[in-house]
Amino acid sequence: MINFIQFIITRAFLAIITLLAVSFIVFALMELVPANCAERYLAFKNTQGSNITIEDIEAEERRLGLDRPFLVRWSTWVSNIVIKGDFGDSCILRVRINDLMKDKFFLSLGICLTALLLAYLIAVPVGIISATTKFRSLDNALKFISYLGLAIPNFLLALIIILFSVVFFGDTMTGLFTPEYVNAPWSYDKFKNFLSRAWLPIFILGWSATAFALQTVRALISDEYEKLYVVAAKARGISGMTLLWKYPAKHSLGPIINSLGFDLNRIFNELPIVALILMLTESGALLVESLARTNDQQLAGAIIILLTGTIIMLNFLTDVLLAVIDPRIRKGVMGGS
Amino acid sequence: MEAKIQNIHKEIKAKEAYFSATQFQLIYARFRSNRSAMIAGLFLLIMILLGVFADFISPYDPTIAGRDKDYEHGAPQIPLFWDDNGFSLRPFLYTLERYRGKDTNFRWVYTLNKEKEKRRYVSFFPKGWKHKALAFNVNLPGKKFDFKIPGFTFERHLFGIDSGGIHLFGTDKAGKDIFSRTLHAIYISLAVGTIGVFIAFVLALIIGGISGYFGGWIDGVMQMITDTVRVIPPIPLFMVLASFAPPEWSSETRFFFIACILGLIGWPTLARRVRTHLLSERSQEYVLAAKLCGASPSHIISRHLLPSFTSYIIVDLVISFPYMVLSETALSFIGLGLREPVNSLGVLLQNATRADVLLNYQWYFIPVIFFIVLVLSFVFVGDGLRDSADPYKVLKK
Repeated sequence: MINFIQFIITRAFLAIITLLAVSFIVFALMELVPANCAERYLAFKNTQGSNITIEDIEAEERRLGLDRPFLVRWSTWVSNIVIKGDFGDSCILRVRINDLMKDKFFLSLGICLTALLLAYLIAVPVGIISATTKFRSLDNALKFISYLGLAIPNFLLALIIILFSVVFFGDTMTGLFTPEYVNAPWSYDKFKNFLSRAWLPIFILGWSATAFALQTVRALISDEYEKLYVVAAKARGISGMTLLWKYPAKHSLGPIINSLGFDLNRIFNELPIVALILMLTESGALLVESLARTNDQQLAGAIIILLTGTIIMLNFLTDVLLAVIDPRIRKGVMGGS
Repeated sequence: MEAKIQNIHKEIKAKEAYFSATQFQLIYARFRSNRSAMIAGLFLLIMILLGVFADFISPYDPTIAGRDKDYEHGAPQIPLFWDDNGFSLRPFLYTLERYRGKDTNFRWVYTLNKEKEKRRYVSFFPKGWKHKALAFNVNLPGKKFDFKIPGFTFERHLFGIDSGGIHLFGTDKAGKDIFSRTLHAIYISLAVGTIGVFIAFVLALIIGGISGYFGGWIDGVMQMITDTVRVIPPIPLFMVLASFAPPEWSSETRFFFIACILGLIGWPTLARRVRTHLLSERSQEYVLAAKLCGASPSHIISRHLLPSFTSYIIVDLVISFPYMVLSETALSFIGLGLREPVNSLGVLLQNATRADVLLNYQWYFIPVIFFIVLVLSFVFVGDGLRDSADPYKVLKK
């Protein structure tokens, strides 16, 4: 047990280090943008007719704490996020980022995790069928569909679906809520309304995730299916589902759990563009807007940190889960007990 | 008896051919037996040729200079060989007559004149717009990096038409020929992908090579860095970097910038593979022998270790290529990547985003088909190569 706790602590420590490194990269990128917040604030004042001098800018920098060294600013930024959950201000929109985000990030998270769940709910049974079927044509057809998942990028799929729904249903299907619910507080009705709209982004995001997961599952099962221990089990008279669940499926569970983190990464990857097309009011669309339109690096940095943090968290959880369910890793962790 | 001996001879010959074949001959032999990969390879070859000879094949300049101002939002024109008026060996188009007046509410109305005398014949190898080959005119920020190579100028094109315009895929809002634009877009997307893959590859070789060869704590630190970059979703990261490009940059500068970004972020997956290959190879005896002879690490990595898995690296490059094309497309699609007048597949896809396109101008979607075929054929070829990269591995049935 001691060993297990030690394992969890090491993993958590590694996760925190990774998160710190990511935050450093993101913060450095935010800093690289020409013109800092002080200049931007004052540039705005300049457009209002007042004269701006170098001294004004320097005073503003002191007020915002921009004259402190880079590392100090980075550590304040990180500690504010960790301790207070405060992402600071967006200096383009001049509001607190937390106010901009509100529940938007959790909306994205909900959509993405559901898409991930959906992807595996489809991919595991279909992948097993594809790997074990006697009909090569069925296997090839499934393979082709999974390749299409890569070749038709999500944003293209979203576009085609929207265009068709405009033509055939007269409704764009965009947005996460119907207009009357957009600003309403959360309630059961709003949730129902959300579900009636959210299935489309979930389906679209799940589309290529399913394709990838399908390939993973198929490769794992078909690799295991031809190993000698499975042949031996067959020779003992085990067949059908029992054979499948007893050996190859169990074996492939580890790598599948391991790949969850990267699948979430892939879904997050496609979220902004899909969100832009579907006009979702969540953080992915906010990210595109902050980068492509307003050039608001603070907001973009906050969203990227949140997305990456979620992935790191998931990776940590899957590591722990693997240690619990996989006897080989458990043995390594526990030291042979 | 004779037949038997001949059979044995044949068998020996086949075996000899197998054992004396070079690695690449074996890879090709195995690749050829994979039918879907071969078909995809053919498509890929066609795509690459279309892209490389885009200037020669396309009848019009893909930029605004080549616009057909009499045929905006024009439908595709398919050359015909015969109609009610008889057969013609040379394909022809009908003459398009346009008219506007009070009765049409002053909007242009197009009518096809199907008379035989009014047929316009397709001509082959006519003189058309001037295009340059091997000409470089690079204008990077900073005067020192500018350079200019005049190259050759050509005027001949694969096909054209006697009079009027020929637009196989129709024209867009400004009257630009979508066929020409698509071909140039394939070229640009392939070029961005190639530069991106190249940069990613060099970085991956350096980082993965050091990490895999030295192992130990260097490997640990390198892996930490690689994993950190890998954990950030790449497209948001692309977007952040791409938003640094000031809007006043020229389209060529933008092109190089985007290609560099793709490379700078695309390396971690490749680096990981290089490292894995190196880790398994570095304990081999031939490496020990080289070390004992006093060879330097860089010599061992570049002369002994890398050649031992060249085929794997090529496979990895082919596999990572569609991701580069996809990323470029996604970036251009949201307006952070390439912009007009540069034609890339992403720029063309962006044009197809409006709802009225599906209703009225469906031919805007033709580049989408090319895009899907390009990515699919890359994926299939990569898959086929991966299966055949190790020719000594026993194939599963």
